[in-house]
Amino acid sequence: MTTALTLPLRRLATIAAAALLSVPAFVGQAQAEEDEIRIGILAPLTGPLASPGQEMVWGHEMFWEQKGHTVAGRDVRLVIADTACNPDQAITQARRLVDQEEVHTIIGPLCGHEGPAVAQVGRETGLPILLDPAGADEITKWTRVPSVVRTALSASQIGHPFGDYLYNELGLRSATFIGQDYTFGHEVTLGAIQTFTELGGEVDELIWTPIGTTDYGPVIAGVPSDSEAVAVTIVGADRVRLFDAWFDFGMDHRHDIIGTYWLQEDALPQVDDRAVGLISNSLNYVAGIETPENEAFVEAYAEAHNRIPSWFAESGYTASLWAHDAIEAIDGDIEDREAFLDAVRSVEIDAPRGPLRLDEYDNPIQNVYVSEVQKRDHPVLGEILMNVPVKTYEGVSQFWTWDPEEFLERGPYER
Amino acid sequence: MPERGALTLIFVAALVATVPLFAGDFWVSLTIKILVLGLLALSVDLLLGHAGLLSLCHAAFFAMSAYTVAILQVRYGVPMLIAVPAGLAMGTLLALVFGVSVRTRGVYFILVTIALGFIVWGVTYRWASFTGGDNGITNVPYPAIGDFQITSMTAYFYVVLLVVLGCVLAYRTLVRSPFGLVLRGLKSSESRMRSLGYSPLRHLYVAFVLSGFMASLAGVLYIYFNRFVNPATAHFHISVEAVLMAILGGTGTILGPFLGSVVIMVLRNWVSGFFPYYMTLMGLVFIVTVLFAPNGIIGLVNSWRARRARRAKTTDAVGTEPEAQPRPQP
Repeated sequence: MTTALTLPLRRLATIAAAALLSVPAFVGQAQAEEDEIRIGILAPLTGPLASPGQEMVWGHEMFWEQKGHTVAGRDVRLVIADTACNPDQAITQARRLVDQEEVHTIIGPLCGHEGPAVAQVGRETGLPILLDPAGADEITKWTRVPSVVRTALSASQIGHPFGDYLYNELGLRSATFIGQDYTFGHEVTLGAIQTFTELGGEVDELIWTPIGTTDYGPVIAGVPSDSEAVAVTIVGADRVRLFDAWFDFGMDHRHDIIGTYWLQEDALPQVDDRAVGLISNSLNYVAGIETPENEAFVEAYAEAHNRIPSWFAESGYTASLWAHDAIEAIDGDIEDREAFLDAVRSVEIDAPRGPLRLDEYDNPIQNVYVSEVQKRDHPVLGEILMNVPVKTYEGVSQFWTWDPEEFLERGPYER
Repeated sequence: MPERGALTLIFVAALVATVPLFAGDFWVSLTIKILVLGLLALSVDLLLGHAGLLSLCHAAFFAMSAYTVAILQVRYGVPMLIAVPAGLAMGTLLALVFGVSVRTRGVYFILVTIALGFIVWGVTYRWASFTGGDNGITNVPYPAIGDFQITSMTAYFYVVLLVVLGCVLAYRTLVRSPFGLVLRGLKSSESRMRSLGYSPLRHLYVAFVLSGFMASLAGVLYIYFNRFVNPATAHFHISVEAVLMAILGGTGTILGPFLGSVVIMVLRNWVSGFFPYYMTLMGLVFIVTVLFAPNGIIGLVNSWRARRARRAKTTDAVGTEPEAQPRPQP
């Protein structure tokens, strides 16, 4: 009888003791320096987009190292959290940053579908969030949150100028479009098609391909044989698979391939010289921009990480720059959330990618660069492939040339 | 008077109830998540630990109810009192349909459930005009009955704790009932049960539907916690994770799936904050579990207790039999 009673009791006592012992662990986390500014960074450091996530974090870290981790006389600490490109983990991590790390603002996340999840936390807590670089269109259009601003880009913002480029610069009157089959891919591709068809262009064929397509043979076999050009929006590891399939099947002898969103700087080391001369992207940043700000940025990045920055790295760097300038404008008083958000909305930024400011829907007005792959001799990295702008669309709004009201009325791009 | 097992569960629940007293909002919200996913793991374990069926489609029921509640509340402004039963009904309805998979066994059952789970994921992902596609559905309102609204994390924590405790006690009654014994009989030897006059199909089908209902309940608790749902909720990963939680904690037990949930959630959401190789750590935990604790954490504790009891028996004649022997692995 005694054993029957003591056994569970002892077990329960053990559980209780363990719970009590863990109290310091809980409490210890909440302690934070009084005067420091804490900036939470949400980035995927594991999973399919771990490498762009890492570049993004490097961008942030590089910026604050250059500033000596201070702004307006206060120390700055970055608190980095891994979202694994999973919205569920992103929302939990955002809550952890708010409740436990007591951050003053959050910058991130990267994956498009994590954007709405993190914006939800902004809605709940009122914490200022700089959404960067998740592209989900709706955040600055149909489901805006008062404390969430975007510092990178809306997906369709880079698609719209590209339709114009196809029609007016390349003189195309019809084209085939291949788009990655998820929200970001839909928004970029359909944004380009919208402007292209409004100018009078025709779509020969529109092909959607899921993320993680291993064999692009059947995909490119669907391109109509009389189609002059093929515009592609492809992400992640698929970029290189499409590249290989395209040239291995000899498609380059039959059609021109043009990247709407395709060979970014992080993919260039994985492709060979067949890429030279291809139109690679229509994006808000390319490493080959020839301004003193960008040349300094690229050089510092190449020194530190032995590669040229992709737009993810620049996006991280610039988001931190944006936060820095806004904090400076309010003399470091980031605790005043309203003032901080107002400052983010009103400061004008000179970023590596050019001049930036927010529109009244909290999305940046910025240059969009159509770029070409060229071979360059880099002082640090030697002979490398590099994206170089061939056409700059200056001061592009997320609404392109349409009236915002009219655009919002039309609704989101959906396949 | 309720017996020792039930008392233990209530005591553990009381301990968990003290979390908000000493921990901040983050830990409270993490505990909610642990409870909700633990409940999902427990629903999977009704099939895995008792009936011996490894289902990999439970995220479908979980997401089905979450999506139903979210769409009804956000799109159509339906009050919670109607949205919640509708969510439970839709999840259970789906289980009634998917239940046909109990006609298969072993690896075929696993494959059929994987396929069924992917159908639901595909619908949430591709039917963007209705489900919001990749962006999901945001801004689900706080749970509210009339004017009474639960906005604080702590208040919702107690709601979740009570629902989970009620569900766990009901589950305990279920698995100890003749029905539960039939399930375990089917797991040990289906042909023998059939020769004794039991209908395996009917029992397994009912177990499947009940398990789907529990997963739907977890989905409802989840949507009011996250106030956001997207296709990741319906993904295969969630189904696999629920199974891993059950195996890690100990299949065929009640606390096991919750303990598994603690380990996985804490690793993913807390350890990841200061230890970048937390995924490696998680892999190590699984390997160690398979090698040294094939019956999970609870199995480890039980075998340790059994050893102690045996030792006590040799020295003290009054010793009692240990409550539960470690069960063979499914």
